[in-house]
Amino acid sequence: MADTGGDNGPGKKAADKMFSLKKWNAVAMWSWDVECDTCAICRVQVMDACLRCQAENKQEDCVVVWGECNHSFHNCCMSLWVKQNNRCPLCQQEWVVQRIGK
Amino acid sequence: MITLSKKLKQAKEGKPVEIAHSPDKRASIRDKLLVKEVQEMESNLPPTCKVTFDDPDKLHQFNITIAPDEGFWHGGTFDFDVDVPEDYNILPPRVQCNTRIWHPNIAENGDICLSLLRETSLDATGWSPTRTLKDVVWGLNALFYELCDFDDPLNLEAAEHWLRDKESFQEKVTSYIERYAKR
Ligand SMILES: [Zn+2]
Ligand SMILES: [Zn+2]
Ligand SMILES: [Zn+2]
Repeated sequence: MADTGGDNGPGKKAADKMFSLKKWNAVAMWSWDVECDTCAICRVQVMDACLRCQAENKQEDCVVVWGECNHSFHNCCMSLWVKQNNRCPLCQQEWVVQRIGK
Repeated sequence: MITLSKKLKQAKEGKPVEIAHSPDKRASIRDKLLVKEVQEMESNLPPTCKVTFDDPDKLHQFNITIAPDEGFWHGGTFDFDVDVPEDYNILPPRVQCNTRIWHPNIAENGDICLSLLRETSLDATGWSPTRTLKDVVWGLNALFYELCDFDDPLNLEAAEHWLRDKESFQEKVTSYIERYAKR
């Protein structure tokens, strides 16, 4: 079991463990980013207000942020996440803001 | 007291009564996410896993049992508590193993070393808000299969035991199962 390599095929061992799972349901795993207009953090369309702003009735203030990687999120959602880890949750690149707007 | 009377006053004056950033409100974000995620998790469970909710109104606290169908831990039933913090999904769920186990990635006190549950991580394997409860269950289940990692152990003694003598490792695993993990 620990001797990886066997069923995962050659060259996979060095790869990120998360993605070498043979029992992982890979089809459904990325269901959230199939639709690229959906904020991967709160899972609401980026053109609509995020879950937090909807709950607090602040729809007007909710804007979209694009990263250099071209992924977009609600600015509210992303600013919470970058405090935790300054990476794009979708592509794992370091997060650099490209623009903020609607 | 002051806040309440102020709010009542505001309400009378027709201003919206709003309790910004109250714990309830933050929790409701988590709970909204959980409504979908619990459903997704339950309809995609590994055949070796069972999920139970003590209180159906608290989607953030549940229990997972895993009964591996092959490998070192076959024959045991292992019990995990999942607690989803208020700041989910910025923070990952907290998971503890309630069954004493001899495993390289689960300490005897129940702490678990699973990369996707790691709050901060320097690489891409840690927690990310794109992950959901389904990924957590599959990740835990994989600790009994391909994610079982003897090279980066939490229970160093168990990992060394396996390295030294696989047969004796299996014996100790089995004796722990007999004592602690029989259902
Ligand atoms: Zn969002
Ligand atoms: Zn917002
Ligand atoms: Zn990205």
